[in-house]
Amino acid sequence: MNGTIQAPTLEYAQLAPMLVVFGAAIVGVLVEAFAPRYLRSAIHVPITLLSLAGAFALTIWQVVKGVPTKPAAMGAVAVDGPSLFIWGTILVLAFVSVLLINDEDHFVAAAAAVPGSAEEEQALHEGAGHTEVYPLALFAVGGMLLFPASNDLLVMFVALEVMSLPLYLLCGLARRRRLLSQEAAVKYFLLGAFSSAFFLYGTALLYGYAGSIDLAKISAALGVVGGQETLLYIGVAMLGVGLLFKIGAAPFQAWKPDVYQGAPTPITALMASGTLVAAFGALLRVFWVALGGLDWNWSPVLWAVAILTMVVGAILAITQTDIKRMLAYSSIAHGGFLLVGVVATGAAAGQNSKALSAILFYLVAYGFTTVGAFAVVTMVRDAGGEAWHLSRWAGLGKRSPLLAGIFAFFLLAFAGIPLTSGFFGKYAVFQAAVAGGATPLVIVGVVASAVAAFFYVRVIVLMFFSDPAADGPSVVLPSRGTAAVVGVAVLATVFLGVFPQPVLHLAQNAAQSLFIR
Amino acid sequence: MEPAEIIQHSGGVIGASWLMIALPLLGAAVLLLGGRKTDKFGHLLGVAMAVASFVVAALAFIQLLGFAPGERRRGVELYDLIPGIAKVGLLVDPLSISFCLLITFVGSLIHIYSIGYMAHDPARRRFFAYLNLFVAAMLVLVLADNYLGLYVGWEGVGLASYLLIGFWQHKPTAATAAKKAFIVNRVGDFGLSIGIFTIFATFHSLSYQGVAEGMAKGGSIPATAIGLLLLLGACGKSAQLPLQSWLLDAMEGPTPVSALIHAATMVTAGVYLVVRSGPIFQATDTAQLVVTIVGVATLLAGAIIGTAKDDIKKALAGSTMSQIGYMMLAAGIGPAGYAFAIAHLITHGFFKADMFLGAGSVMHGMNDEVNMRKYGGLRKVMPITFVTFFIGYLAIIGFPLLSGYFTKDGIIETAMEHNAILGWLAVLGAGITGFYMSRLVFMTFFGKKRWEADAHPHESPAVMTWPLIILSIGAIVLGAFLILGNRFMLFLSPAVGRPEELPSFHPFSTTGLATLALVAVGVVFAWYRYGSAEVPGVAPRGSFLTAFARRDLYGDALNEALLMRPGQWLTRLAVYFDNRGVDGLVNSLAALIGGSSGRLRRIQTGYVRSYALSIFVGAAVLVGAWFVVGNL
Amino acid sequence: MTTHYLVLSALLFAIGGVGVLVRRNAIVVFMCVELMLNACNLAFVTFARQNGNLDGQIIAFFVMIVAAAEVVIGLAIIVTIFRTRRSASVDDASLLKY
Repeated sequence: MNGTIQAPTLEYAQLAPMLVVFGAAIVGVLVEAFAPRYLRSAIHVPITLLSLAGAFALTIWQVVKGVPTKPAAMGAVAVDGPSLFIWGTILVLAFVSVLLINDEDHFVAAAAAVPGSAEEEQALHEGAGHTEVYPLALFAVGGMLLFPASNDLLVMFVALEVMSLPLYLLCGLARRRRLLSQEAAVKYFLLGAFSSAFFLYGTALLYGYAGSIDLAKISAALGVVGGQETLLYIGVAMLGVGLLFKIGAAPFQAWKPDVYQGAPTPITALMASGTLVAAFGALLRVFWVALGGLDWNWSPVLWAVAILTMVVGAILAITQTDIKRMLAYSSIAHGGFLLVGVVATGAAAGQNSKALSAILFYLVAYGFTTVGAFAVVTMVRDAGGEAWHLSRWAGLGKRSPLLAGIFAFFLLAFAGIPLTSGFFGKYAVFQAAVAGGATPLVIVGVVASAVAAFFYVRVIVLMFFSDPAADGPSVVLPSRGTAAVVGVAVLATVFLGVFPQPVLHLAQNAAQSLFIR
Repeated sequence: MEPAEIIQHSGGVIGASWLMIALPLLGAAVLLLGGRKTDKFGHLLGVAMAVASFVVAALAFIQLLGFAPGERRRGVELYDLIPGIAKVGLLVDPLSISFCLLITFVGSLIHIYSIGYMAHDPARRRFFAYLNLFVAAMLVLVLADNYLGLYVGWEGVGLASYLLIGFWQHKPTAATAAKKAFIVNRVGDFGLSIGIFTIFATFHSLSYQGVAEGMAKGGSIPATAIGLLLLLGACGKSAQLPLQSWLLDAMEGPTPVSALIHAATMVTAGVYLVVRSGPIFQATDTAQLVVTIVGVATLLAGAIIGTAKDDIKKALAGSTMSQIGYMMLAAGIGPAGYAFAIAHLITHGFFKADMFLGAGSVMHGMNDEVNMRKYGGLRKVMPITFVTFFIGYLAIIGFPLLSGYFTKDGIIETAMEHNAILGWLAVLGAGITGFYMSRLVFMTFFGKKRWEADAHPHESPAVMTWPLIILSIGAIVLGAFLILGNRFMLFLSPAVGRPEELPSFHPFSTTGLATLALVAVGVVFAWYRYGSAEVPGVAPRGSFLTAFARRDLYGDALNEALLMRPGQWLTRLAVYFDNRGVDGLVNSLAALIGGSSGRLRRIQTGYVRSYALSIFVGAAVLVGAWFVVGNL
Repeated sequence: MTTHYLVLSALLFAIGGVGVLVRRNAIVVFMCVELMLNACNLAFVTFARQNGNLDGQIIAFFVMIVAAAEVVIGLAIIVTIFRTRRSASVDDASLLKY
């Protein structure tokens, strides 16, 4: 055995969805290198959309064929029920977000050019565009797929970086308000790198504790290894910092409003939906597979984090005057509601697949609604680009009732009004939490929801019951892509609100097979 | 005999019975969302969807007949809305299928009739969209297997009714009438919703099955309270005292609407509710007694109002109230009366729709004149309308061997056996019915012409007369078909139970003869007043009794004094309290949250280093907390 | 004795962390993050020795590659904002707030 290196076995069929996405991303890089500029966009869009659709089909095929029961790639990647459900969700959300990205005037003509310089003028004049956004987005999506499926901490770290690095760049590529966009990129990058250093140090300490970075082996070492609890405590806490940062849980939420506001809106949509789903998948996997067997209860800390997150998200959103910023705080609050579900998975009821399925359902519901909401934001514009300031949205209901109506519908879904998807998401999570003995947490959640409902409804009131500003924004006629995104989001929000059963059922099935170890 | 168990069913037409609802709903969606593009074929699509829904209902009925009587309650589960609490499912059983057939069949005929009646209306497409919406909602109401589904349908028909009463919203009277119907119905719906809450709190289930099982299990069940709350809902929807006042105003809607919604189907939903909730009502004598009293009071009040109205549609509306009163009376008696209540509901659906459509046909020929004092002698110019209307008239007064004779007599006999006072009052009502319906017919079709100068009455087109002919055939034969040999009672019994002893039909019972005699007196008196004598063009002042009846028995005044005035005081009080007390609290709370939000957001300084600090401190706290928790 | 190495690694991590908090220049801030990653590497290698397996050393290589990728992205972003603002101070980039 010594001296010989065994060739690793790879289960290509199980990894196929990720391989397709990464492969397409690499092809995209080659296109960027070799295809003439005028052709690039025409090549990128079909490649990107087809690869995402293909990966989705492969995911479905995987489910039909039977969910694998053993980790793949020498125990590095676990393609199990929750993974497949999350993959399907991310791929659909990414597909929809790419349709938004496809409206190319969101992106800067030449990122390297100084804003307002002659160079930029020229690039604009030539109609140049950063077609790199497609391969970058694909890399990010690939990272999102790997993140929740990784079965050891190193793969998880690599996935975290593969997911984040392209997003840092994408954040800085907005065509208008470039200062804000670049600032968002810098902030996101520095804080992201900072937090991933914590994640890595946590990994190192857990490696020191358990002698392995395999989640299952860490779980097996719990309780067996004695005398090194210090390593374990610090390791788990620092790992938690990295994961909670990605979710945007308080006190690690500070980047979210700034980044969501500054980034190009389609990228914000991708981050708010895809990244959140992936990060929750990873968080659940770590807490469930690696730490599920802890003989001490980690949930009190998560309780505190969940409460703080809900409160901070809901309260800070109230006084926001910028629509994207408000949606970012709302995303923080929703992260808090989801954390309530995470607490329920580890609470007294033990490994509670009901809570897991509730979280999965919530993620789908929230993902679609949030993509739709940001898609609407891209359509309300004035001379300076998208009209972000809420005062500009006054009276929108009188000017374009359909769009305002749709946006109001999304807001109601965020607020969790019955007959929208948000209601069942919240209901399922809170119910699971009550069943798991986290009733006080649910009470805080409900109060936070009530506070949150205030600022959602405030926007609705503003849109429908205020007089439109004289020079108010105009609503652009959406491109086919954007219209499709809004349409899909509305349908999903209605469908999940009226017929939640099929998706709930799917989530239950996915949760039943649990995370494999 | 107790109702049969519900058997879960899948496959076949019954398994696909949701199509009955989905088709008209689709029609409504296409017509409402499609906009002007669908103007050309809108009416045809609307008719096609209603007819298709009828075909599904008929096939489901045939499939249902294929099962043994004890197996004719088929539950169709669609999906779990909230796992463990609310399932969305349908219940196809003899009771619901009877309603489905009535709704879709009469509904289809009225759709067809409307093609002609609304031919010149620019908003005809919208009209058909609303009609489709109504049919879908009504089918939800009767097909749901639980109270939540029923409530959805209940509100759905309320909405459709509101939209259709106010269809000609440019007329202030129509807009007001629509609002009035909506608001009065709110009172009833309030009762219904609280009733449903109470049901859920008591049985932890909203399904009819769950309620029946809970009732069988016994224990402390507030059956009387639930029954009275449900009755309040039924009174609102079915225009029973004391919530009757909206129905007369609802006649502002287009006449096909009055025929479909405010005569044949929607207003009978209250009767359906009472019959469907049989297990609850049968456990409480008090609630049942109240149901019968409400029924009798309304049947008399409606009849009296009918005697005084000169507006042909309002006279018919009074008659509708009165006939539903009969149904309510029967439904309050229990299993002995259920079959008669529903049978009368079905035959009434036919002959009253027939007469409303006939009235519509008359108005169509008379420049939309509704005042009967300006009619007269129309039988010669509108022969088909006259003959079909006359058949409906004979059916409603209970002329021997026609529909109403069998079904109404059944109700009166049963009531007589149940309680003699109620029985004799019902007989009296039949006599008044004979008078006011004869008055209506004589004033309209007989006597001298009293037309306005510019009226040129003419027979309506075939698309309007054929529905009349088909409905009048139903008005002739349905009663005998349903009642003779207790056919309908046996059919219905798996759904609602039946009395131990089947009633037998005696053509020459004392009650029957007395009823006939009183009706005959009514008819003759009407002939003396309105048939042979001159009818004045302007209504005479009449006695205080006439004035009383003309003012709808002061129903509006009563509402105003009893409900509106105190309501206004209450709202004023509530507003005062709200401004001073609640708002003060809420506002200070909101100010607190807003203020803390304004202060807290300063944490978000915009400096990336301070964000990093929050992460750093957060990490330190997390590590510390983990230590504390881990070492506990 | 591996404890010393662990202490050193912790110190390096802390220095890096504090550096991120106190330095203004984006490049220096970023270098501090790199220092934190290298502290991790030291910990990995130490634990590899302590545990007697090679995993930790292999992980260190992965981390280096990731760090290199991070440098590429990071410098691109920082240079862009420097060109726009003529300043690499992270405190200047504070338009987005509250």
